Amino acid sequence: MRRALLTTWYKPHALLLALLALPLLAAAAPTDTDSVAVLNRRADRPTAPRRWYLPNHLTVQTGGGIGMLSIGTGLSLAHDRLDLDVLAGYVPRQHAGTTLSVVAAKAKYSPWKLPLAPRLALTPLSVGVYTSYTWGLRNPGKPGQYPDDYYWFSNTVRVGPVLGSGLSYVLPSTTAGHPHKLTAYYELATNDLYLISYAQNRRALSLPDIATLALGLKLTF
Amino acid sequence: MSAALSRFSLRAVLAAGLALGLGSCELIEFSPNDYRGPADQQDLTAKNLARLAKTPLPTDDTLRFVFSGDSQRFYDDVEDLVKSVNQQPGIQFMLVSGDIADFGLAREMRWIDDQLRQLKMPYLTVIGNHDHVANGREAYQEIFGPLNYSFTFGDTKFIMTDTNGREYNFNGQVPDMPWVNQQLADRTARRHVIVSHVPPQDEDFDPAVRDQYTAALRADPRLVFEMNGHRHDYGIGQPFNDGVTYVNSYAFEKRRYLIVTVWGDKQFRLKQVSF
Repeated sequence: MRRALLTTWYKPHALLLALLALPLLAAAAPTDTDSVAVLNRRADRPTAPRRWYLPNHLTVQTGGGIGMLSIGTGLSLAHDRLDLDVLAGYVPRQHAGTTLSVVAAKAKYSPWKLPLAPRLALTPLSVGVYTSYTWGLRNPGKPGQYPDDYYWFSNTVRVGPVLGSGLSYVLPSTTAGHPHKLTAYYELATNDLYLISYAQNRRALSLPDIATLALGLKLTF
Repeated sequence: MSAALSRFSLRAVLAAGLALGLGSCELIEFSPNDYRGPADQQDLTAKNLARLAKTPLPTDDTLRFVFSGDSQRFYDDVEDLVKSVNQQPGIQFMLVSGDIADFGLAREMRWIDDQLRQLKMPYLTVIGNHDHVANGREAYQEIFGPLNYSFTFGDTKFIMTDTNGREYNFNGQVPDMPWVNQQLADRTARRHVIVSHVPPQDEDFDPAVRDQYTAALRADPRLVFEMNGHRHDYGIGQPFNDGVTYVNSYAFEKRRYLIVTVWGDKQFRLKQVSF
């Protein structure tokens, strides 16, 4: 029943559009204030701290259970150690039987950053969690289709841990603004259903059996 | 951080990334409902039937197969089942009466196949309600094959049919009666065995099709019995008191299975094996 309410209340496309529009809002935000003042401030203090609540990066990712292609944006907090991202993903029909739209939220903590070269840095370890919601499944359950608690798990909501690393490159800056940075990352992840299967079958299943891989690029602006 | 260590870390990360990325494409999973997988884990029904055809059973020879069902989330039990079945003499194939997966996910179906392919004999499946969940129907078709199919082995025609009516929200079309009737009308084999997941006396069987289904079985003079899973426990009986015998399989978690021996027109023996 809960599932039915969710699908009725949230129009998937509206939510996807809203999420995709977030970076645009972020870009538009400075124009709310006096743009000249912003420019001046940037010129005076190129390293001025950005406002913490505004998205400061865009990501594009494949895999990790949240899309063949997913696009996201997010905030960096705690001296850039904590990333909070939202992503919108897409899986074409030929890979899953129906076309799937996925929205995910991800929190990732990266305690260390190792400089490798003047512009290059390694983030050796990131740990985090994600949750996702999927639209477009063939048989997610219609109201009244099943007796209560017929299937105890959700088809549409997934939760799982994430583990990864990344390599960052500071892009040559053309303006006096904040330098942009490009990060290539990978993440090993799994989800609640795979974890339960593994936890109850430690003999037959191994961690590689339940692992998924994501490869992504992150542009910090 | 010393340069040497940094260089080492970088190389290690790149190597690990490459190994993971190139090692298997499906590791980059787009969704748990993404069913891409290795080619040797596609069309398993056709592959197992081809394997079965290589050891044909001569006319009048006794049929002997293992009957099990509902493998679901019991992966540790599958290992032991395979060991046990491989020690039984004279088993021609194994039947799994549906619910291969628990959550309708492709990986679950492959985890079961990873183990069942260790059997010395081929195995065949029919789709269960848990295999229909989410996009499981598509995953099942990709990994195993058709939802309705039949094969003849020796003197027996096996009719494998989808009876998971609730998964279609009781649309009045499951099981596919025109297909079932056509299969039962085939008179080339001496006997028929019909295998499905949900038994017709179960509340998950579409009530609109129940009478047609049971009547069709009753009218088939070649039918030895109807075989099901879903209830996770062994059972044998004639629930409709119409002379049609229904046999239910143990789930893998029960750590028991049946050895079914069939000879003559309709004579059979069921042996229970614990593992």
